Order: sequence, then C-alpha cells, then structure tokens
Amino acid sequence: MNCELAKKNAALFLYGELTIEEEQAFQDHIETCADCGREFETEKRVQAALNRNEVAADPALLARSRRELGLRLENARMRRAGLGAWLRRLSDLRIAVLARPAAALALVALGFFGARLATPKAAPAREVAGLASAEPGVLRVRYLEPGPSGRVQLVVDETRQRTISGTVDDDQIRRLLLAAARESTDAGLRAESMDVLKADRSAGELRPVLLYALQHDSNPGVRLKALDALKPYGTEADVRAALTQVLLTDDNPGVRAQAIDLLVEHKGGMTAGVLQEVVQKENNSYVRLRCQRALEDMNASVGTF
Amino acid sequence: MNSEAAPAMNRPSPIDADEAALIRAAQKGDHEAFERLVHAYDRGVLQIAMNLLRSPDDAHDIYQEAFLRVFKNLHLFRLDSSFSTWLYRIVTNLCLDLMRKRKTRREESSVVETADGPRDRLDTVAEGRELGDPQRSLISRQLRSRINRVLDELTEKERLVFELRHYQGMRLRAIGETLGTSEEAAKMCLFRATQKMRVALGDFV
Repeated sequence: MNCELAKKNAALFLYGELTIEEEQAFQDHIETCADCGREFETEKRVQAALNRNEVAADPALLARSRRELGLRLENARMRRAGLGAWLRRLSDLRIAVLARPAAALALVALGFFGARLATPKAAPAREVAGLASAEPGVLRVRYLEPGPSGRVQLVVDETRQRTISGTVDDDQIRRLLLAAARESTDAGLRAESMDVLKADRSAGELRPVLLYALQHDSNPGVRLKALDALKPYGTEADVRAALTQVLLTDDNPGVRAQAIDLLVEHKGGMTAGVLQEVVQKENNSYVRLRCQRALEDMNASVGTF
Repeated sequence: MNSEAAPAMNRPSPIDADEAALIRAAQKGDHEAFERLVHAYDRGVLQIAMNLLRSPDDAHDIYQEAFLRVFKNLHLFRLDSSFSTWLYRIVTNLCLDLMRKRKTRREESSVVETADGPRDRLDTVAEGRELGDPQRSLISRQLRSRINRVLDELTEKERLVFELRHYQGMRLRAIGETLGTSEEAAKMCLFRATQKMRVALGDFV
C-alpha cells in the first residue's frame, strides 16, 4: 500500500469498511510509514471530535414524539374504521337497492349455513371400555379413580340425544322450540325455531321471545326472521315501540327497511313523527327514501316542525 | 475488524424472526405490535432527523410523518426486504425534502439569534454538556461551528451517508440500499465527506 492509498483508507479503516486484506495492508503501512502514522492519529482525533458533536435524542423529545404519535395513530385508526363503515354502508345500500329480497334471504341463509359450517367436528374417539365411539351424548366426569398401569376409572353423567316429534300445539315441543329460539348458540336454529313457532298464535309466550330477538339478537338474519314472525302483532303497542327502537338503532339497513314496512302497514298516531325523525337521522339513502315515500303515502311532511 | 470504529448507535439489524412476527402482527392491525416496532426504531429516527435538521421541532415533525407513513403503508411492506432500510429511506427522504425547502425559502436558517449573537441551532441544542467549564465550552462551540459549517457544505448524498454511517452506525451496504445507490458509491461519499472534515478540523483537533 502506498501513502496516497493509506491516506484515503484511514477513515474507512476506522469505520471498519475495509476488507480484511485492505485492513492488513493499511496496518502494515502505517507501522512502517511515520507520516501516514501521524495522519492516522489526526484522523482518529477528527473522528473523536465528530463523536462529541453527536446530538443525542433528548428523552423528553422522544417522550413527546411518542405521545403525539399515539394520538395521531388513534385518529388514523378511527378514520380507517370510519372509512370501513362507509364502505359497508355503500355495500349495504347497493344490496338494498338492487336485491333487497335476495339480500335478506342471503343473510338468513348465511346464518343457517355459516353457523352449521362453523360447528366444530368432533375428533375421532378411541375405543374406550363402556363407551361406544360412535355413541352420541354429552359426558361430564363426576368421579375418577386412578388405577394401576395408568388406567383410570371415570364415573360420568351422560346426556343422550333422542328424537321427538310433534306439532307446535304440543306443549313439550313448543317449550323446546321457545328455548331454542331464545337460547341456542346456533343462529340458524334460532331462526328456524321462530319460523316454526310463528304458526302457533295461541300462546302468548312467543311474542316476548320475538321482541327480544328483534332488539338484541346479534345475527341480522335472526332479527329479520323475528320481524317477519311479528307481522301479525303489528298493531300491538309493545311491537310498535320495538319497531321504532329498531328503526333508530339497528345497524343493518335491511332490518330497518323491513321495520318501516311493518310500521306503515298498520299506521298509528305516532308513525309519521317517527318516520320524520328517521328521515333526519338516517344515513342510508335507500332507507331514507323508504321513509320519505311512506310519509308521502301518509300525506305527511318529510320535515319536522 | 478493528476496534476503533465509530460507535454504532441503534445499528439496524437484518430482519429476524421476531421482527418478522411483529411486522406480520402489525400488518394485521395489532396495535401493540406496531407500538413495539416503533419503539425499536424511534430513537434512531429522531436522532437522524436531529442530526440532519438540527431542530428538535423539525425532528419531532419528521418522526410523526415517518411513522404515520409506515402505519399507512405497512400492508405494502414485503418481508423479504429490511424494515430498517425501508424506514430510514422514508426518514431520509422526508429530511431531504425539508432541507431542500429550507434552502429554497431561506427562512428556516440553522442560525438562530441568542444573547451571545447569531448561533447555529445545533450549538444551542448540544451545549448543555459543557456549561460548567467556560473554556471547554468555547472550544466545543468553535469545534461544533466548524463541523456544522462542513456539514452544510457537503452534498446531499455525502451528508446522508456521513450521518448514517457516523452517527447511526449503519453499514455502507445498508446505506446504499437505503439511499438507492451502490455500496461503492456510498463508500466514495463517505470518503469525500471525511476528507472535507479532515481539512476543516485537522489543525483544530
């Protein structure tokens, strides 16, 4: 290595950016060349001075920056969520305008099949003494007794499945269906139970179940089914109150549109006022249009006074 | 490798399994994962911005903008490249934009008025360490003044390479990737920058 190259490489040597061969050649040169050795010492002092000029990130500035970034990220996430909701509303609107009946059917079908598909399949069981692997039933361990060679004896409660049949007029069938409509974790089963139960108008137990489902069920398909089953009770005050509540709070435009239909089917004294309020608040243009048309049919003003 | 190399600060590491998992989680919307990613690199980001812009307020703004851009575009990031390279490219581009705007407007001068007369903005930031010793403070101030003058005279690329290598401890290969240039070109920039420093400071140190 000559002096010119050694001077060129001095800084790169300090940065560790030379190859092993270049480093070796550089070290060999400065050991034998006093001029380059002095130059190298100067280079080290320059680098030390540069190190002292470093500006460390002030912890207070870092803390302030992190705090503000946290707020900005929160805003960005909210905007992103808002955009998502807007896109969903746009999608809902398109569905509602172009194919509302199909969309409602699809929602119900989604509830049925989605819930069924989501039901986990049981892993194949090994043959166990006293329990046929194919035997259906729900087991709960009551007692256990460890035995030799790793064997264990269990005392279990067993709930066996069986098939019963009858009509909704049968008390036991009706009670089971009401329980399924109210409590089943399977949305499809809840909707199917309501569908079967709506044929029975003799008992007063169904309406509270339908009203609860209409206002609280998480599945829009089930809420639509409850709305449908409530049609015969459209003049009842508790049903109309629930419909008003749905109109103002349900997040699904299909459900809100159906609620309007049922509400205007049996016009009451408060209907126009409710619809006028909905027109002011509604962000789905199809539902808003339905309200406006219903108000026009009633010869009522679209605005509130 | 010799032991006298400049201290490596916040040296970006190649993407590892933990970081990849963190990025994947953040891409899926995991807030905590994104925060951990930010905290892994934000000191380095702030430091690059501070050294390049010499203004805590501007560094703060660059920090915000850089991480918001990362947040908005993280879904586009592919795990076959280095996250730190991507992040530092964003940061250096933002800093460059601001430096160019300053040069154009001439209104964001790095010189600020103080009780002692016009001073470099960075001098006022870094001064606290020598307050107890007036003589040392004077020398440090002169030294910083010289260093900052040279920094201002470096070309954009020389400046960026120098800052990233000297103060961030990044390897020239990573710097080349960050700045969209070759390792050899980055090495030439570093060489020219250190030569200019050497000329300006050689008789002072």
